[in-house]
Amino acid sequence: MNTISEFLAYPFIQRAFVASLIVGVLCPFVGNFVVLRRMSFFSDAISHSAFAGIAVGALLGIDLSVSSVVVAILISMLIAVLSEKTSLSHDTVIGIAFSGSIASGMLVMGMLKGYRADIFTYLFGDILAITNTDLLLLFVIGVLCISALLFFSKPFLQITFNRDLAQVEGINVRLFEYLLFFIIAIVVTVSLKIIGIILVTSLLVVPAAAAKNLALSMRRLFALSCIFGLVSGITGLMLSVYLNTPSGPTIVLVSVGIFFLTMLKRERWN
Amino acid sequence: MNALSVENLCVKINNRHLIENITFNVEEGRIVALIGPNGAGKTTLIKAVLGLIPYSPGTVSFFGQPFRNVNSHFKVGYVPQRLEFDRTFPLTVSELIGFTVPPVYSFSFFKRDKKHINELLEIVGAQDLMDRSIGGLSGGELQRVMIAKAIVNEPKILFLDEPASGVDIEGQERFYDLVKRLNKEKGLTVILISHDLNIVYRFADNVLCINRRLICSGSPANTLTDDVIKNVYGEMMGAYIHSCHEHD
Repeated sequence: MNTISEFLAYPFIQRAFVASLIVGVLCPFVGNFVVLRRMSFFSDAISHSAFAGIAVGALLGIDLSVSSVVVAILISMLIAVLSEKTSLSHDTVIGIAFSGSIASGMLVMGMLKGYRADIFTYLFGDILAITNTDLLLLFVIGVLCISALLFFSKPFLQITFNRDLAQVEGINVRLFEYLLFFIIAIVVTVSLKIIGIILVTSLLVVPAAAAKNLALSMRRLFALSCIFGLVSGITGLMLSVYLNTPSGPTIVLVSVGIFFLTMLKRERWN
Repeated sequence: MNALSVENLCVKINNRHLIENITFNVEEGRIVALIGPNGAGKTTLIKAVLGLIPYSPGTVSFFGQPFRNVNSHFKVGYVPQRLEFDRTFPLTVSELIGFTVPPVYSFSFFKRDKKHINELLEIVGAQDLMDRSIGGLSGGELQRVMIAKAIVNEPKILFLDEPASGVDIEGQERFYDLVKRLNKEKGLTVILISHDLNIVYRFADNVLCINRRLICSGSPANTLTDDVIKNVYGEMMGAYIHSCHEHD
């Protein structure tokens, strides 16, 4: 059996390792807001709306990363506007956006001629197929998103805790909600190539939920979620290489394992 | 000077008037109690005044300036009725208060000004709660922490929406003593909603009786007569004046 150092000699494994480090921190960091605001259905809708973007990109012959990001941002803004301006519940709006995106994606896919392997990369994710350009994009977006969430952490967390209090304290609640939706849409779409449309929400939600099982403070929540994300990413990648299993599902299953361990710990406390 | 002026305020939702044509002024440094039966529109009135729900027509001004045009939101503190939040929300008291401590935009959220936060908690007698998780606080402890949070930026006016509901009698006494102390020491104008007429008699300088409209206003002793209470709350209610008065 090859050792880890032997595996790490391969450039595609090196790139996959760095990618798992970046998404291991980025997804749980953003995921904390998703979990605290109970928005996992929203991030699911965004990842599935990216499917429509990918299909449209393939049909029009434009870069799939660009088309998926654009459509995901548009759908996230549509959800935000409809939730705010209509009497429909947030949940209903997300459900409609989710179904509409999937249906549109499938309809457009039906119009494509021939087999498109690149589309399936987005559907199930392939961390071993990451290019240097993908890595650079992931790194830049990761730094920008985490910087924005850190810089505006007080308003974001204040709104998450109680919207009315935030508004009375002079925070522009609407602006920050739109900004948060925008950041979630960007993070979901840049992570698609690694983890896939179907599982990307898991990497946002599961490490953050595991951290919430143990954390009593915001500091610990952010620290633990990033540690769990990193451990899931690296352990999942190494296991997938050793066991010759798909990387995305292996990473997610490791994070689910961590979640159950933290849940047991929490139950023992209770 | 009037700390708060409300003129002809109406709140209508789904073509139903929740508040009709309410006009009143609150002088700076006073404690004013809003009373009225359930569903009278007290919370709606406070939320409309704070800009949390839309109103039309009507005008609201703080210290002579329209609320929406003043860059002075921090002059207003607010403690909502029965704060609804997820009890498993991983947040300590110092982090919750830290949300409000300036600067609002910085990378320093995780570096909190513990000295400032401790001073605020000392004012409300809750310094031992600094590192406690908010989910584990009792009703009384949480209300003290919320007051500490509301006074972070030295507001000129504090809104308290049934602040002591669900708190035991001893906790209520401590809470209203604290409000009175802040009013005296810092000249804080306080507008509070209360169902407890005993508390209103003891702590409020003025009373506004509301039942969708303004029914009456004035000092508790002059306003809360048997007839007015029956008019506001119904025939089963009456005034019982306790012997101990804070205003004597």
